Amino acid sequence: MSSKTADSTMRSAAWRISLWATLAFAIGTMLVFAMLHRFVAGDIQRRSDAWLSGEVEVLGDVAERTPKDRLYSRVVGEVAELASKEVPNKLRSNGNENDSVFFLQAGDDGSLKLWVGAGNGAPNLDAIRMTKPLSDVPYDLRVKGFDIPFRVASVRIDNGSHIYLGLSERDELRVLRSLRIRFFCLWLLIVFFGFVIVFYTTRRMLGHVREITEAASRIGQSDLSSRVPTTKRNDEVGQLSRTLNHMLDRIESSMHQLHTITDSLAHDLRSPLTAIRGKLEMALSGDGNAEQGESIVSAIDELDRLTEFLNTSLDVAEAKADALQLSRTEVDLDVLIRVMIDLYEPCMAEKGLRVQLHSGGTVMVMADAALLHRVIANLLDNELKHLPASCTVLLSLHTSEGFANLIVEDDGPGFEPGIGPQLFEQRVKGKNSSGHGLGLAFVEAVVRAHGGNVTAANRRQGGARLSILWPLKKAEEVAEAPLLEAHGHEVKIARGKNHTPPLA
Amino acid sequence: MRLLLVEDEREIQGFLKQSLTEAGYDVDTAENGRTAVLLAAENKYDGLIIDLGLPDQDGIDLILQLRRSGVNSPVLILSARRSVDDRVKGLEQGGDDYLTKPFALAELLARLRNLLRRNVAAQEDATRLRILDLELDFIKRRASRGGELLNLSPQEFVLLEYLCRHAGKVVTRSMLLAEVWGMRIQPDTNVVDVHIYRLRGKIDTEGRMPLIQTLRGIGYVLKDS
Repeated sequence: MSSKTADSTMRSAAWRISLWATLAFAIGTMLVFAMLHRFVAGDIQRRSDAWLSGEVEVLGDVAERTPKDRLYSRVVGEVAELASKEVPNKLRSNGNENDSVFFLQAGDDGSLKLWVGAGNGAPNLDAIRMTKPLSDVPYDLRVKGFDIPFRVASVRIDNGSHIYLGLSERDELRVLRSLRIRFFCLWLLIVFFGFVIVFYTTRRMLGHVREITEAASRIGQSDLSSRVPTTKRNDEVGQLSRTLNHMLDRIESSMHQLHTITDSLAHDLRSPLTAIRGKLEMALSGDGNAEQGESIVSAIDELDRLTEFLNTSLDVAEAKADALQLSRTEVDLDVLIRVMIDLYEPCMAEKGLRVQLHSGGTVMVMADAALLHRVIANLLDNELKHLPASCTVLLSLHTSEGFANLIVEDDGPGFEPGIGPQLFEQRVKGKNSSGHGLGLAFVEAVVRAHGGNVTAANRRQGGARLSILWPLKKAEEVAEAPLLEAHGHEVKIARGKNHTPPLA
Repeated sequence: MRLLLVEDEREIQGFLKQSLTEAGYDVDTAENGRTAVLLAAENKYDGLIIDLGLPDQDGIDLILQLRRSGVNSPVLILSARRSVDDRVKGLEQGGDDYLTKPFALAELLARLRNLLRRNVAAQEDATRLRILDLELDFIKRRASRGGELLNLSPQEFVLLEYLCRHAGKVVTRSMLLAEVWGMRIQPDTNVVDVHIYRLRGKIDTEGRMPLIQTLRGIGYVLKDS
């Protein structure tokens, strides 16, 4: 379960956005830190160079002025010693031996005249001889036996000898390293918090979007009264949900209007129809002669046909507007079709028609039972009315890719050529048809309202063939409701093409 | 039997009252929910006929209100609405029935009779039923007439059983469709008639008194006298 949530988190847009944003942020801060580091390192270098140049100048001065007697080395040595105590960036806890600074005086001939510092100064002198120092400008010097280079400044004094003052870069590097460590820790912290903040905010924002999507899919399943959740803020998401809700208000109100119109139309027509029918029946039961009775009965028949026409028209109108109110229950199509065939078979036999059923057994679908009954009855009524004697009606029921497929075919004259594309339109009927042309329109409208589709064609070997795809009942019907809606959508797109709708 | 008819359309109320009275019922009428509640509190009715579209309140609310105040008589709901409300379905499961307008008077009377009888305790647990010389054995699912076994399909037996249980009373096509085949459809072909013709061909053979009568535009009746 937790790995599932983790997995879904990793696949969410919030996760991807946060990753990219954090990457950009990390690179940006890293660049800023690198520049800062460069600047600080340069500054430290400049400061120590300034100190070196100043001190070597002073030492040169002292060396020049001090008489060249036996006290010379001592005086100059002590001055150098003193200078080494004022080294910038020096660590306090340094040991007794001061190995971070050296003072060296080399004679004209390159011999070591004076040395103050750790060791005997020979490797330093060798290293200085190896390099060809530019005068006045401090330079880096690698001395054998020392891992860290020295920064060396030199000055030439009158007697032709050179004075060198070396400062180990150890302390400078230590400062820079500690600076880098701190930078790095700070960087990690900033990047981590940046990621958390970006992830949190995008997730929150996209959470609103997801809520909107969920609400919209609920609404898509004909729960028009529910609304997309709104936020108080006036950002894009808030505007999106407000716009959607505004749109839904209008859709709901026009749906409501449609319901009101059809309901009141039905009501206003039905009350007088009821009164007329009742009065006719009363007249029929009274003492009338047989001839009058005959015409009253036919008037009642006409009235019933009118009522049926009214009902079906309104149903088709509502279904076409996706406003049909469905109360879905579990229905076994196999059982239903067997009962229907049982009902229709005698009537068909009477007309000289044969009925056959090919079915592989139970096929469960979710459907509004009353509407489904009428759909099947419509199809069989259609066959009854249009087929000439000694034809065969073949019903076959099977399942394919999440859909129940009911095929009704016959070996009769088939649909009239040219009627094809408008077959499911209201009022479209064959020239010789006696119906009111609503039958197939009703079938198609109901099937579509349930998320299925209907295709009709003439068979190559003659006769008509009607194929109905009806979504199968899913094991977790409620949980996967949005998925079902998605199918419905795809089916709608696929309508009219003679192929099986895709299914996940 | 005493009935309360709650219907606001004068025309419909008029002919309903007339035909119900002719059928032998005592009928009180109310034109709105308020009057209906008052009448139901004063009198004891065996059955109620209530239209859903009343001027002062929704018919279903009225039924629920009456039920709460202790009126247990069965209700026949009349509805001019197209879609059947879930609440109506609930009532239907609770033993009440509904009819959509326009309806056949015979249908209304037949359903009303059903409803009232249902309320009196059904005698349907009998294992045999005899109507004139027609005999039905519900255990062996066989029928005979004048001692001669009839060759009926299971479906035909169910149909005959329904007609016999309502012997002497009108049954309409939609009643047969609903009760025998379990569907509320209105086929525009004569599917039910053909079933009846077939059944009649087996029962009312030549030389015998025809038992199943057709009432044109209304339905059928199985004679019991």
